[in-house]
Amino acid sequence: MLFRLENLSHQYSDGTLALDDVSLSFAAGERIALLGTNGSGKTTLLHHLNGILQPTSGKVYFEDKPLKYNSKSLLDLRKRVGFIFQDPNDQLFAPTVKQDVAFGPLNLGQPPDQVKKAVDEALTTVGMAEYAEKPPHFLSLGQKKRVALAGVLAMQPEVLIMDEPTSNLDPRATSEILHLLLRLNKESKITLLLATHDVDMVPLFANKLYILNKGKLVSEGSPAEMFSDAEMIRSVNLRAPRIAHLFEVLKKEDNLPIDKQLPLTIGDARKEILRLLSSQKTSKPEATSKRRNPAA
Amino acid sequence: MREEKYLLVKTKQLFRGRRRPLSHVNLSSEIDRYAYTNALSKSSPATKLFLAISLLLISVTSPTPVVPIIVFLTSSTLILYSAKIPYRFYLKLLWYPIIIIAITCVIIALFFGYQEPLTEINLLGLRWAVFKDGITLGINIFFRVAGGLSTQFFLVLTTPMTSILLIIRKARVPTVLIETSLLVYRYIFVFIEVMETMHTAQELRLGYSGWLKKIRSTSLLLGNLFIRTLEQGERTFTAMNARGYDGNIRVLEDLPKPSKTALAGITLFAVTLAVTAYLTMNMGVV
Ligand SMILES: Nc1ncnc2c1ncn2[C@@H]1O[C@H](COP(=O)(O)OP(=O)(O)O)[C@@H](O)[C@H]1O
Ligand SMILES: [Mg+2]
Repeated sequence: MLFRLENLSHQYSDGTLALDDVSLSFAAGERIALLGTNGSGKTTLLHHLNGILQPTSGKVYFEDKPLKYNSKSLLDLRKRVGFIFQDPNDQLFAPTVKQDVAFGPLNLGQPPDQVKKAVDEALTTVGMAEYAEKPPHFLSLGQKKRVALAGVLAMQPEVLIMDEPTSNLDPRATSEILHLLLRLNKESKITLLLATHDVDMVPLFANKLYILNKGKLVSEGSPAEMFSDAEMIRSVNLRAPRIAHLFEVLKKEDNLPIDKQLPLTIGDARKEILRLLSSQKTSKPEATSKRRNPAA
Repeated sequence: MREEKYLLVKTKQLFRGRRRPLSHVNLSSEIDRYAYTNALSKSSPATKLFLAISLLLISVTSPTPVVPIIVFLTSSTLILYSAKIPYRFYLKLLWYPIIIIAITCVIIALFFGYQEPLTEINLLGLRWAVFKDGITLGINIFFRVAGGLSTQFFLVLTTPMTSILLIIRKARVPTVLIETSLLVYRYIFVFIEVMETMHTAQELRLGYSGWLKKIRSTSLLLGNLFIRTLEQGERTFTAMNARGYDGNIRVLEDLPKPSKTALAGITLFAVTLAVTAYLTMNMGVV
């Protein structure tokens, strides 16, 4: 297992128990979404994976070895596990885009030529190459998020952890970031873990879902499994994706013979609609001919 | 009823963008924008820094207005014709400091000096002598400062802050200073945004209607901003750590190299000006 959390709890200094006995594990190459409402403990959990926070009790294992919190071990961990913060303003500290993206590779001790190459590549990957010399305050939020992503990609991490990468983005920017992430996962085999409360985005992205509520891990499984458990989803104040909701209504109110597994994405929905149409054609040929007859 | 009307008017103003809050703040971000977009932004920052500093030194040490005037014309020409900064913007920048310097210099001219009384003025029943060396001093200081000012405007309008800091860094200025300035430069714009948002939010809830409320709102805003800066510092530090920060901010050095000819040319020009300053030393102004 790449990461394993064992009975992880975290209490902030003001007494808030932000994580309560969470155990989970995932393998390299997975695409994982951590789903929960605001304040459910997503950020706190993610911060443990990069050694930003230390557990109050419990343990974090990376490649089956417990995390150590001395600066040398943390540096080794952070070389391999990239972290993208929710607010890009927290992350973009350098006066120009290029300098910011160069920060990580320079810290890894790479020579200047290699750093320049890494910076160019990372900025091209996120489509921000033409903004290299601009200061971050000239950029829009979506652009800042992409630069923050480039800053981490330039370090060539094996794992990418992202805190709400698409929050506050417009639909187009959201879909661009998602496609970029999926491509990275497919081509570079980067393991992806992201926190979100955007249920419509999750099925497009994740192969595995962890549901967090009030610091507790409530459930885990594939998006299809998780969203078909309507009661659980409601109990944690989330909802199913809009598409699933539509098909649920079609099934319950209009008695359409919809599959037990509700479609979650537009792609699924299309398949399901085509299936319904074709099954109608084959199962009820007399219905269609009857309707035609009077006209004839 | 009055309040409602006030709110309506304020909202209209805000959305028409007629009355931008905190306009002095916008001016500094505009300077910053020109620094990155002007026609000279890609040329060597070391050369521009060298030119600005040598002209500044010559201008402020010059004994007569002749050289400062040449410096002023040179910088202004570079700003307007080489860097292609709109003259309206340059005038807007010059306006306030020039007025302030002018007032200061009038005061100096009237109240300083002791040689050769030129005339006497009647000031509230008091007779006040104005001296020749006082006038000379006032005029000299005005032109020196105006010349120096124009060189600094040349620098900030044509050279991005980052490049300036990277050059100074090479001159063995303590890294702590440079790194702090880099961070301050970056986050000042974040806080300007935060401040403008908070200011607008307060204004829309009538936080600035009446001077008592004004004081209260302003102190709340500043207090809030202070806490925000502390929090931001902590979050930025965390984020830097997550990318392997070890106490040194390393930067990629790939600024355009200064051309030897340009540096030589500037040196020659500076020497010529210095000689001119020396030769015109005994020229009388008044
Ligand atoms: N620095 C902190 N100090 C005290 N409490 C905190 C701190 N950060 C978060 N919390 C609390 O911990 C809980 C979980 O927060 P967080 O992990 O940020 O949730 P999420 O990211 O899912 O919105 C919340 O109740 C929040 O108020
Ligand atoms: Mg969060």
